[in-house]
Amino acid sequence: MNILEMHDIHKSYNDLEVLKGIDLTVAKGEVVAVIGPSGGGKSTLLRCATILERIDSGKIVIGGDVLCDTKDEKIHYCDKKMMGEIKSKFGLVFQNFNLFPHFSVRRNITEALIHVHKKTKLEADIICDELLLKMDLVEKADAYPCNLSGGQQQRVSIARALATSPDILFFDEPTSALDPELTKGVLTVIKDLALEEMTMVIVTHEMSFARDVADRIVFMDGGVIVEEGPAYELVTNPKQERTKAFLAGY
Amino acid sequence: MFGTLTGCSVVLAVASLIVSEIIMNSKKKHYPEGAKIKKPAPVVILLAAAGVFALPLLVTIAYKLIKLVTGDKDTFVSTMKLLAQGFGFSFGIFIFTIIFSLPLGLIVAAGKMSKIKTIAAFFKAYVSILRGTPLMLQLLLVYFGPYYLFGITTGNIQIGPFNYRFIASIIGFSLNYAAYFAEIFRGGIQSMPKGQYEAAQVLGFSKSQTYFKIILPQVVKRVLPSVGNEVITLVKDTSLAQVLAVSEMFTQASALASAQVSVMPFIVAGLFYYVMNFIIELLLGLIEKSMNYYS
Ligand SMILES: Nc1ncnc2c1ncn2[C@@H]1O[C@H](COP(=O)(O)OP(=O)(O)O)[C@@H](O)[C@H]1O
Ligand SMILES: [Mg+2]
Repeated sequence: MNILEMHDIHKSYNDLEVLKGIDLTVAKGEVVAVIGPSGGGKSTLLRCATILERIDSGKIVIGGDVLCDTKDEKIHYCDKKMMGEIKSKFGLVFQNFNLFPHFSVRRNITEALIHVHKKTKLEADIICDELLLKMDLVEKADAYPCNLSGGQQQRVSIARALATSPDILFFDEPTSALDPELTKGVLTVIKDLALEEMTMVIVTHEMSFARDVADRIVFMDGGVIVEEGPAYELVTNPKQERTKAFLAGY
Repeated sequence: MFGTLTGCSVVLAVASLIVSEIIMNSKKKHYPEGAKIKKPAPVVILLAAAGVFALPLLVTIAYKLIKLVTGDKDTFVSTMKLLAQGFGFSFGIFIFTIIFSLPLGLIVAAGKMSKIKTIAAFFKAYVSILRGTPLMLQLLLVYFGPYYLFGITTGNIQIGPFNYRFIASIIGFSLNYAAYFAEIFRGGIQSMPKGQYEAAQVLGFSKSQTYFKIILPQVVKRVLPSVGNEVITLVKDTSLAQVLAVSEMFTQASALASAQVSVMPFIVAGLFYYVMNFIIELLLGLIEKSMNYYS
């Protein structure tokens, strides 16, 4: 079963066409790494999949629900109710965390559970405690984001995204804002999620991580998918010249 | 004589400030960030000299004040009584203005940021005009406007203990301060990073949840210092209600001063304003501290 289907996605900012017909399908339990030079449209692709941006044409299906489709060259998005439902099926981890600074770690994780998913405080706390244990942050439950290291903040934001048990998790360069010595903890957490068969799409520049953890790697450049294939094969034996040139830089 | 003394004192104090700035700046480079630097000797000497020159002046003022109080006790007591009554009105204007102008400011800020162009233009004009014309003129307009524009007589309007003079001053102040608060709020709201909205959106929060749970609490912290500034200005601005002959403290002080041919009422009124603002500063400090748990 496919958790994410994106067909022929086109997206422009003003006159700049950033996505030029992207097709991406992610099966349940699959880990897909998206790599490519900066400005290639990787973030935009994630932002379209997470409804932070609206596409110009194409079709997006998440967890079997149609988010948007194109009929007679016009894009149609689903209604608000369905959109709410679709939003509960995915989580997004940002490059710069975007934690809520005025909330404690616990409240960052439980706020949406309580006020969007209508769980009781007790239910939310139980979920939160489990996630904190998993993220090795148990003693930080009452801390505020400003008192955590970048690596800890990113793990909180992963816990926040996981709290609502989404079907798929998107990561946009989750370690790019971190000092090198802090990336390891975050990558370990993501690796563990992969072992639990969490469906994930990860934009990353950590090539060895992508090779080892992802099932499939997608190489994007200039708004198109230049090449994709099984992770190990694509990294060790790229077919396209552009992919070769990009990987040579690592 | 006193003029010369005061002049000397002020010149010395300013000189000490300038010298201190120069010396401190040159020293700062050699000290680690945040280190406490002792005041250099020349600055201390200049400051002390300024103090010495100012001393006779202070003593004289203190002496005169004491004499005023003890010399004619009845006058002093009745003056205090009238000023305290006036202060009640000043405080009333202040409190009601705060109560009305803060929410109104939020509405104006929202209006100015509206996506609907005519609404945005309306509130833009509102802010521009209320900030661009004298508050005194606005007060007069609110007071006389109803009669001269619409022929409505306002003389017999009375809400509880408040006549139209008092009400008009509150309306005038509220409309004016809302414009200033709106600009502060707008700045605070627009300074919020886009990521906060996006994180909230992805998590499924509704627009109003995002606004009231995520954005506004953080904006409050960001705007508090500027709002505090305006609040302190408002305390002093209440004296402008004098133009509507509201019997607030400054009106009373003026009347008393000319009746007694003395500046004492003004000095006492000044003390009232200062004490009030001193308390407000303390409160603002406490509120700021209570929000220091995150940065
Ligand atoms: N909000 C925006 N407005 C205009 N142009 C944008 C915007 N966001 C991204 N772009 C442009 O779209 C292109 C792709 O950007 P992005 O998706 O961030 O690439 P990547 O994540 O691969 O570095 C870039 O040329 C960028 O300048
Ligand atoms: Mg990017």
